[in-house]
Amino acid sequence: MNWQPLVLSLQVTAVATVLLLVLGLGLALMLARRNFPGQTIVETLIILPLVLPPSVVGYYLLIVLGKDGPIVTLLHTNVLFTWSAAVIAATVVGLPLMFQASRAAIASVDSALEQAARTLGSSELEVLWRVTLPLARRGVLAGLVLGAARALGEFGATLMVAGNIPGQTQTLPLAIFDAVQSGRYSQAHYMVLLMTALGLISLWWVRRLEVPRRTGGGGKRHG
Amino acid sequence: MDEVRLSVDIEHRLNEFHLQVRFVAGSETLVLFGASGAGKTTTLNAIAGLVRPNSGEIRLDEQVFFRQGGEGPRCYLAARHRNVGYVFQHYALFPHLTALDNVAFPLRDRRNRRNKASELLEKMALTHLADRYPAELSGGQQQRVAIARALAAEPKVLLLDEPFSALDLALRQRFQQDLRRLQEEMGLVILYVTHNLDDAFAVGHRLAVLQDGQVRQIGPVEEVFRNPVDREVAGIMGIRNFFRARVVEATPEGLLLDWDGLQLLAPRQPSLSHDVVALYIRPEDIKIVYPDRPLSDAVQRNQVSGTIAVHQRRAEGHILHIDLPNGHEVEMRFADYAYAPLDLRLGEQIQLSLRPEGLVVLQPPTGGQ
Repeated sequence: MNWQPLVLSLQVTAVATVLLLVLGLGLALMLARRNFPGQTIVETLIILPLVLPPSVVGYYLLIVLGKDGPIVTLLHTNVLFTWSAAVIAATVVGLPLMFQASRAAIASVDSALEQAARTLGSSELEVLWRVTLPLARRGVLAGLVLGAARALGEFGATLMVAGNIPGQTQTLPLAIFDAVQSGRYSQAHYMVLLMTALGLISLWWVRRLEVPRRTGGGGKRHG
Repeated sequence: MDEVRLSVDIEHRLNEFHLQVRFVAGSETLVLFGASGAGKTTTLNAIAGLVRPNSGEIRLDEQVFFRQGGEGPRCYLAARHRNVGYVFQHYALFPHLTALDNVAFPLRDRRNRRNKASELLEKMALTHLADRYPAELSGGQQQRVAIARALAAEPKVLLLDEPFSALDLALRQRFQQDLRRLQEEMGLVILYVTHNLDDAFAVGHRLAVLQDGQVRQIGPVEEVFRNPVDREVAGIMGIRNFFRARVVEATPEGLLLDWDGLQLLAPRQPSLSHDVVALYIRPEDIKIVYPDRPLSDAVQRNQVSGTIAVHQRRAEGHILHIDLPNGHEVEMRFADYAYAPLDLRLGEQIQLSLRPEGLVVLQPPTGGQ
């Protein structure tokens, strides 16, 4: 069996996960605790890829990343049909899941606790680091796992913006498609089983994260 | 001990609500008393720096917490720089931290913080619970952790928002004592929000009655009890028949009192440090007794005859003021349906019973008055 698609998938997912954490958490923090005009529009745009067909997301990405798009014009760099495009596609489709879960987790932290921390001498950054994030941790992690799983399984948009170049942009889902197209079913079997196992593991993990525990976010349990 | 002064003079509008409070608190426990929505918590939040008033000034000695609209430069000190201890209504303990780590939270000195936190827990008799998470503590234990945490950074001001509302009576009395001790030991300015009269009396040196965002009356607790400035304040206090009586004897049956010549039996008290006690009886606990009818046990005791001096008709029923032979007056209340068949007249002599269980003895702060 050819391991290259798996390795490539894991690399793409790893980078996308880091981006998901930074972007998803940043946006969730910005949007969970305050209200500003146009907030609903911003939120809708972040979540929109969840309900759009992958080909539509891919089409928009083609426009943004394409020859006359802002990336080429401003940064003078081409990412279309490269590894980076696969990362971008994976991040865009994973972001809604990460964003929604983190936002809900942060909003559910009792604001009285944050107020208490302020009266106890904490700066806003300390409040975030010592109170909000530890308490929202499980929800944020659950969102990250879900987002990463979604990024790993990305197919349609990736195909449109990154192509299907073996060894460069052919991730596992694309390799499965390729194998089936050319009648290599025994190869497809293994890859399908692998993807299914990864999906099950991530769901099990999310479930574990979401079961509430008595001590909140605490690690150890004491008598 | 240096005298500390917290002066508050602020105005704040929020939709329909208009807060306009002004008071000065020294090294004492000042009770902010009033119904919910009177502006008590907003006042605390403004002092702690969690709510920014529209205008006015909040000052602790020379340190300006907030100033806007008056003379002097504008100022708004962030909550974290005010060092005001705040015990929130539901304690707001950090659920992801143990009792010890909650108390250590405000402490900055890395080497010493755990020791210092342990000391504070010891002071609140919580050492054995140091490693528990808040969810594993009872309401009373949580409250003590919250107080220890609020005092950890050695504030000069301690704010408490209905701290005892979740506790049963025995615990309450214990914490009332603890709080008085802390206030004296540390010379704190304590602002204590409550709508419970017994709490107010037990912990307070002075009492500020709030209504609709305004301080209606402020003064020593007993004085406000005894001389409400007007009927409204009396109504807020919910007290009608307030008086002081001399303790004659503490019997197993109850406390024998002398109210300027009238002998009364009151419920037994767990501890009694004064020979004169303040007490009140709700108008509903004064009953009319008819000699020609069999007496229920409840009205056997504390009988006295009186003259109907005033009769008022209100939406909620009838109110009578009765002149007693000892020169005082008590208020009684009747529902409409109960009043009509009595066929009472002004000036009529009636026999009353002040139900012993209805007499509420208020425990003053030890050392006060």
